[in-house]
Amino acid sequence: MRLRIFRWKAIGPLLGLLLLLGVLLWLFAEPIARQTTEEASTELLGTEVNVGRLDLLPRQASVDLGALQVADPLEPRRNLLEADRIVLKLNPEALTEKKLVVERLALQGMRFGTPRKRPARPVTGDGFAPRALRAVREWGQRFDVPLLQLTPIDTIKALVLNPSQLGTVQAAQGLLARADSTRQALEGGFQGLDVKGTVDSAHALADRLGKTDPRSLGLDGTRQAIQSVQQTLKRLDQARQQVAALDRNVKAGVQLLGSGVQGLDEARRRDYAFARSLLKLPSISSPDIGSAFFGKVSIDRFQQALYWAELARHYMPPGLLPREDPGPKRLRASGSTVRFPKARSWPSFLLQVGQVDFTIDAGLLKGAYAATVQGLTSAPALYGKPMIVSARRDAPGSAIAGLDVGAIVDHRTSTVRDSVAARLRGVQLPAFGIPGLPFRLAPGAGSVNLNFLRRGDQLAGRWAIGSNQVSWALDSAGARSQLEQVVWRVLSGLKQLDVSAELGGTVTAPKLSVRSNLDDALAERLKAVVGEEVAKAEAMARAKVDSLVNDKVQPVKQRITALQADATKRVGDQQAQLDKVQAELEAQLKRLTASLAPGIKLPKIKL
Amino acid sequence: MLTLLKLIQSIIKTLHSDGTPGQVAAGIALGSALGLTPLVNVHNLVLFSLIVLLNVSFGGGMLGWALFVPLGFIFDPVFDRVGAALLGAASLRPLWTSLYNTPLVPYTNFNNTVVLGSVVSWLVLAVPIFVVARYGVARYRATIGERVRQSRFYKAVTASQVYNWYKLFRPS
Repeated sequence: MRLRIFRWKAIGPLLGLLLLLGVLLWLFAEPIARQTTEEASTELLGTEVNVGRLDLLPRQASVDLGALQVADPLEPRRNLLEADRIVLKLNPEALTEKKLVVERLALQGMRFGTPRKRPARPVTGDGFAPRALRAVREWGQRFDVPLLQLTPIDTIKALVLNPSQLGTVQAAQGLLARADSTRQALEGGFQGLDVKGTVDSAHALADRLGKTDPRSLGLDGTRQAIQSVQQTLKRLDQARQQVAALDRNVKAGVQLLGSGVQGLDEARRRDYAFARSLLKLPSISSPDIGSAFFGKVSIDRFQQALYWAELARHYMPPGLLPREDPGPKRLRASGSTVRFPKARSWPSFLLQVGQVDFTIDAGLLKGAYAATVQGLTSAPALYGKPMIVSARRDAPGSAIAGLDVGAIVDHRTSTVRDSVAARLRGVQLPAFGIPGLPFRLAPGAGSVNLNFLRRGDQLAGRWAIGSNQVSWALDSAGARSQLEQVVWRVLSGLKQLDVSAELGGTVTAPKLSVRSNLDDALAERLKAVVGEEVAKAEAMARAKVDSLVNDKVQPVKQRITALQADATKRVGDQQAQLDKVQAELEAQLKRLTASLAPGIKLPKIKL
Repeated sequence: MLTLLKLIQSIIKTLHSDGTPGQVAAGIALGSALGLTPLVNVHNLVLFSLIVLLNVSFGGGMLGWALFVPLGFIFDPVFDRVGAALLGAASLRPLWTSLYNTPLVPYTNFNNTVVLGSVVSWLVLAVPIFVVARYGVARYRATIGERVRQSRFYKAVTASQVYNWYKLFRPS
């Protein structure tokens, strides 16, 4: 019997099964796509994304989304943006390659900073976005933002300090150990030189030749004596080079110890500040006041910018090397999915042009606005142009209000550069509380400027707000300390507010300085009220630190000074010995050469 | 429990089906792909169609699937490494780049380490699975097969309605 290869009767059921799969796909494609979009966007952005409606329009190769909400990753009770409708026109050719190329995106009914009905659920897990969010939160904690202490001054009684709490003591101990090891290293260097042996043998030769008449040596004897002198001079030169090398080591060691001594002074200044913080003295210096009032709110703004820059850096990598991402979630292991970008082909994701039209119906900013996003892509090197975002008023409006936003994300080459500049005038600035104090600031309508630049690890940013409609409120009623009353009197009379926060340094070591027009007014007033007492308390804190630190620091400083002096003197002595014996030998050499050809002045022999 | 019963039913029915040991073994070899590789992928749709359309034992296919599912989970880390090694190989990069940028091919998820690793491993193991399965089925039928066929348990299993459906795909 001939064995048949195909089971023709099974074609019917198989087609039926495929048809059933097709029907199920048709029925459930939209809910599945909506859920997948929500899950993938939440995972990608590290914040909850909700999509109210998703319609697939296969004939137009488009997707129509409705009621989009993107929660603020740093403030779960607020939406970063909300849009009534988003239409994405996709490139069908790219879709066949499983690539999402959005030819045109249109957003309608967009709103920013709207409150959420329920707080966004935190995105957990080990994905990139949650990790970036954690990193950015930790980054925000690197800033040493002081709280404005308005504790009643009469509560200051005593200062209890433990030496182990003081950085100066630890630094002094470390420096002492370093000084000892430097001394040992230099001692080893001096012993290894053996200058004395070289000097003694050279000296003996010079003595011997000094007692000899060159004419009694004969021609050969004189030549041999000259050669001996020349060889000894060479050894002296080698010894001189060794001494010079040791001298360099001594200078480097001394310089290092010197910087260590400077470090002790800096550590002492930090200890003064620490002791002062234990006393909870009121801050009466202008920079402290600016940072205490507006440091946190400034950091919040820079955190937002840094978070999105971090995501852009991850999702928009430069270059065309294969890229690995975690595979899809499934019962089986996810594995990794590798993308293989190819020159002159579609990137995995590209938003060619995003057109965002939005209208602000009321307030000073009333009007129609247009925003565009160009070149948002997963492979900037393929796209070949930087991503550009811009938003501005579409039609002329009020001169005192406006919105101007521009951002460039250039990841085409390994020198990535992210920058954003936003200027908003006539906007309602959000109210915020002053950390650690019972005051709340409602800036009213005013202007906001934000500039942020990240190039490699370097950061530069400026956030500024200005308003002349400021109102202040006390958070709760109750007894206020004398200083709080003083501050409140100053604040409640202020209607003008100008705050400027400057960010600098690197991602790992950021620096923030905050200034405001309140700083000087408050500092002056506080100084007048409690300046004298604060100065006394500060002097007490310094004296306490000095009493604990001096007996640790002084011996270290003395030992380092002695080590510096000793090492310098020993090097100088050895150089002097070498100079002296070299001069003696050169005199003998001159005498010997003169005896070879009396009356003829020979040129100086260069060794 | 139901799954286990169905598995026993499948094993017994398959081993006693009218198909030759070669047909049962071919079904098991094809079905093992469904178990060894992540299920929801294009290649498994193709393989399932082949099990249905080719004159191999459908029960063997289902048996292979059931038997190899646990092995698939166990060997996922190995498949991940195999796939990563293949996708990371510099000499193969032009091939992957070309496939990745070819229409429809990316929908096979070949660029996932577990998918590629498990498919390649299955391709390597398919022939040994076939040979071992054919030998095993032949030995079973030659030794204890007839005694099992005469048992009341076997008769109870084959009397069920499911068996009638199964007969539709019985190898001829």
